[in-house]
Amino acid sequence: MTTTTTTTTATTTTTTTAKTKPHFWKWAIASIIFRLILIYFPKNLNLATRPEVSTPVTSLRRLAEGYWLTQSSMSPYAGSMYHGSPLLLSVLGPLTMKKIEGQPYHLLCSLVSVIADFISAMLIRATGLKLRMAYCERLKLLGLGKLFEVSEILPSEDIAALVYLWNPFTIVTCVGFNTAPVENLFIILSLYGASTRVAPLAAFGWVIASHLSLYPTILIIPVILLLGNGPDATPKKLLLMYKKDEGGSSSKGRVVNGLTEQKSFSWRPVGLFFVWVFIWTLYTLFMCGIFMRNYGGLSEMFSRTYGFILTVEDLSPNIGVLWYFFAEVFEFFRDFFLIVFHLNILFMILPLAIRLNHRPCFLAFVYMAICSMLKPYPSVGDSALYLALLALFFNELAEMQFSFFLFCGYVGVSLLSPVMHNLWIWRGTGNANFYFATGMAYACFQIILVVESVSAMLNHDRKIRKLVAANIS
Amino acid sequence: MESKSKFVLCFLLLVLSCCLCHGITSSSSSTTTAMHTNNWAVLVCTSRFWFNYRHMANTLSLYRTVKRLGIPDERIILMLADDMACNARNKYPAQVFNNENHRLNLYGDNVEVDYRGYEVTVENFLRVLTGRHETAVPRSKRLLSDEGSHILLYMTGHGGDEFLKFQDSEELQSHDLADAVKQMKEKRRFKELLIMVDTCQAATLFSQLQSPGVLAIGSSMKGENSYSHHLDADVGVSVIDRFTFYTLAFFERVNMYDNASLGSLFSSYNPNMLMSTAYYRTDLYPRRLEEVPVTNFFGSVMETIHTDSAYKAFAGKYSKKSVLEMPLRQSSQDLRRTLASSDVQYPTTDSNVEDPQDSCRFTQFWSSTHGKTTKVDGLDSWVNYGLFLMFPMVAMTSWLSS
Repeated sequence: MTTTTTTTTATTTTTTTAKTKPHFWKWAIASIIFRLILIYFPKNLNLATRPEVSTPVTSLRRLAEGYWLTQSSMSPYAGSMYHGSPLLLSVLGPLTMKKIEGQPYHLLCSLVSVIADFISAMLIRATGLKLRMAYCERLKLLGLGKLFEVSEILPSEDIAALVYLWNPFTIVTCVGFNTAPVENLFIILSLYGASTRVAPLAAFGWVIASHLSLYPTILIIPVILLLGNGPDATPKKLLLMYKKDEGGSSSKGRVVNGLTEQKSFSWRPVGLFFVWVFIWTLYTLFMCGIFMRNYGGLSEMFSRTYGFILTVEDLSPNIGVLWYFFAEVFEFFRDFFLIVFHLNILFMILPLAIRLNHRPCFLAFVYMAICSMLKPYPSVGDSALYLALLALFFNELAEMQFSFFLFCGYVGVSLLSPVMHNLWIWRGTGNANFYFATGMAYACFQIILVVESVSAMLNHDRKIRKLVAANIS
Repeated sequence: MESKSKFVLCFLLLVLSCCLCHGITSSSSSTTTAMHTNNWAVLVCTSRFWFNYRHMANTLSLYRTVKRLGIPDERIILMLADDMACNARNKYPAQVFNNENHRLNLYGDNVEVDYRGYEVTVENFLRVLTGRHETAVPRSKRLLSDEGSHILLYMTGHGGDEFLKFQDSEELQSHDLADAVKQMKEKRRFKELLIMVDTCQAATLFSQLQSPGVLAIGSSMKGENSYSHHLDADVGVSVIDRFTFYTLAFFERVNMYDNASLGSLFSSYNPNMLMSTAYYRTDLYPRRLEEVPVTNFFGSVMETIHTDSAYKAFAGKYSKKSVLEMPLRQSSQDLRRTLASSDVQYPTTDSNVEDPQDSCRFTQFWSSTHGKTTKVDGLDSWVNYGLFLMFPMVAMTSWLSS
């Protein structure tokens, strides 16, 4: 009897997904068209000059400058304009130089961003599908199949992909001439590779993502957990508890073949992952070494890319919280506070990994949100990424508190921040505190988002546990 | 051990060759070791009152010439009594001319006077030369030269046997000037100094000089007067002195890129036209005047050093020692002059001296491949090929392992 219910629920889910599919594709294509319209907009939107959009590490103007320097046989890092990867320079650099008559400025780079956005959305969708299938499987295994009849499980993968495509932050980042869409693409690629357990793809995504910007390095933990444990699911002890109880009562003769797959942490994909990480790292470093052979070698590259990010050399205003602080800290204490700020990210890694080890994708989201808050040069491209990852857990986080407050907060900050910037810089009627206040408010909202989503997720797990316990007894 | 002794031998040879070159090229220890860095001009007009109009016109003409040839205001110290342009007797207010054709207004909008009026004193002049100022004196009034600077010191006014009259109230003696120059030399405030004096009996003013690296020229010898060139009937006073007039006549034909030499300048002074003998003193100056371009003192032609790498000192590691290039355009006038650079060139040695302790195979291999790769130029395309290859590799490997 339970098998028939599972088949009916399977058919209902497939019909709902079949219905939403054409809607999804309509909206996806519409978002691409909207981006193209914005790119071809006759008036210059000037989004690339906004500090919220382009940062010293992602700005395309700086990449063009670095490319011009390489063309003049100088190091791309001379003059402290460009601080990104040399490989990105070789790919995007020639595109910035090509000027097609009658077409908007930097057209080819914008098209690259649009393509990157689209591929990211598709990868998010694929990852989300995997997660949702794993979620449904796990619920069925725990005997909570009737949950489907009580509340509908929404296609979180479509929602997440559409959130990514239609998020104003993503659109602004895509149209705003920077390299954040490419960085986001590789982060999402690594998560996709890890969730489908394709070790070379995950390794490639992780290596390139950490090469382009420093902070995706901490995603190694969710990726390893994904490869070892599989996609997000309720805690394993719950499953073991259910199974123990299952073994006792013989009335329900269920086939528990799903349990055999994940009794323990499987080390084989993780081992393969490390092998591939090694290979891809060597490959990338070799190519960078060839590129930089005349300009000081790899040490120069590391000091100008990673060193620039870690020592917070550029103190131009952005939506983060570090620039204001480091503009006024005394030289004597600068190193100390650099260590404090960077440790702030690092010390949160371990506790979260321990608590959320059964939900690696969610862990990845939390890590990305924390990085986006505490990194030296954040932009709205980072929030585009983690908001999409948040939407992947639409079903689990349905009972998140303060969601409306956060939504209003995000809207308010994204509207006020350019206003305060204008007041400060252009009109001179405000000062840095105005702008920094919006930055602090943004950080506060991000903190509330992280805290509330984590507690909502843990509440959801608790609820499932209670339901399972109620079912058993 | 064998490589160590080789290293020591190389080092000794290097030191020996350095000393040899040093001994050959430099006559004194301090003048030619420093590289020529910048040019300074100290232009002093020591007279005041309306009838000494020509002295101010002299100084302003030199100021204009020196600026035209490239020395910026921040490296010019101009000392004027500055009471001509806005004098009540000036028919052309705020204008100072050096010729009766009034073609050139010397007191235009680009004149920066550092010491004016009663600040032009012997004390301030000596303080400028020696650099011994009080702490509150601003930087624009200081001679901030270093040991590689070439300084032009031009003085004009009323002078006599071994003295120069300052503002009709005090005197600068030749001993004082020689002492100041000696202090400058000890404090390494110049590499080469050209003193040009346009007064009566000018050559006596630098008779007591003894510091090396100083070249001096005066408009007249002991017992001779220096005369003004012509009287401007409209303004009512003489507007230029002869010596300065002929100096300017020489310079008006020179622009920044000419390599006219000091020898040609000094030989252009015709005693019949000057009505005095322009005497110059080269015993303290090591170089031949035909080899020194006038822009070494009167202008500021910077020498370009071509490096292979940008902005940083990777030149020591990767490229050879830099070769100095100087602008060598033909001058409009006479013979072709080949001008030597003013800096000593040491024999270039390859700076990659091998570390004798480095016996590790891998590092040797790496350095040899590194050396090879730095010479191969087509490697940049390899990066592009590598990048293009990356994506199919990823696709293939992920397809294989899924």
